[in-house]
Amino acid sequence: MTKTKKSRRDFLKAAGVTGGVAAVAAVALSSKSVKAAVPESGKSAGYRETEHVKKYYELARF
Amino acid sequence: MGRNGEEGLKGPELLDNPTEQSDRAIAEEDLERAHLYALLARVLAEPMGDETLEVVRAIEGKSDGNELGGAFAALGTVAVRTPRGSAEDEYSALFYGDGARGELLPYASYYLTGFLLEKPLANLRGDMAALGIQTSGISKEPEDHIACLCEIMHGLITGAFNEPASLETQKKFFMTHMAPWAGQFFTDLEGAESATLYMPVGTIGRLFMAIEAQAFELAA
Repeated sequence: MTKTKKSRRDFLKAAGVTGGVAAVAAVALSSKSVKAAVPESGKSAGYRETEHVKKYYELARF
Repeated sequence: MGRNGEEGLKGPELLDNPTEQSDRAIAEEDLERAHLYALLARVLAEPMGDETLEVVRAIEGKSDGNELGGAFAALGTVAVRTPRGSAEDEYSALFYGDGARGELLPYASYYLTGFLLEKPLANLRGDMAALGIQTSGISKEPEDHIACLCEIMHGLITGAFNEPASLETQKKFFMTHMAPWAGQFFTDLEGAESATLYMPVGTIGRLFMAIEAQAFELAA
């Protein structure tokens, strides 16, 4: 981890965003307003479950 | 997307996850930021339904010397004693109004120009297109509604639209579309006459906007 990443992470923790100051339930967000744009080719159908997204939902335990 | 299942409601154990890795796709602190944006989007997009109220009631905050923790504790406490009907009435008074307009107008255009559907909305639409984000058509609100902007930040962090966006991209979007006014909006929400349940929401939002701005500076 770079120094910059660490200082940002430490700051977020001290500010209470991470580190258990608040136990915020992983809120399931059913997106009301926005979605991924469909490219003009029309080939990709919006939302894609990428590895990152899968990982996110796995971690968030939906 | 239909993932708002019951098991998601009581999932605060994320922090106990022992797999502490610095190289995983989305860092722990960024997941927490995403959760916060999701929470704000959810309570600001529409009146809280039973499911949302359950989520909010389950929030526990430790108020030991941390302002944000104190605000979470307050929100959880107020939510426990707020029935759904009262939550709906409060939302209506704040954002819809009885006949006239609501107490607050949670749009970037209004805060930055004094009018709705102004240039900030046009600029936002341009940036959304560039980022590959479009409106879902479900919400009738213009995109510069605070809840929509929180949804976009959530999606940029998690990669719900495409790949997770870089901190640089997140920073640019935040600084352009939220930083100039969202702090003031949340301050207004915190002090709004009709706000009881939404007072701590305002506090959380106000603190979080300031934290985000500072954290992005550290990442620069």
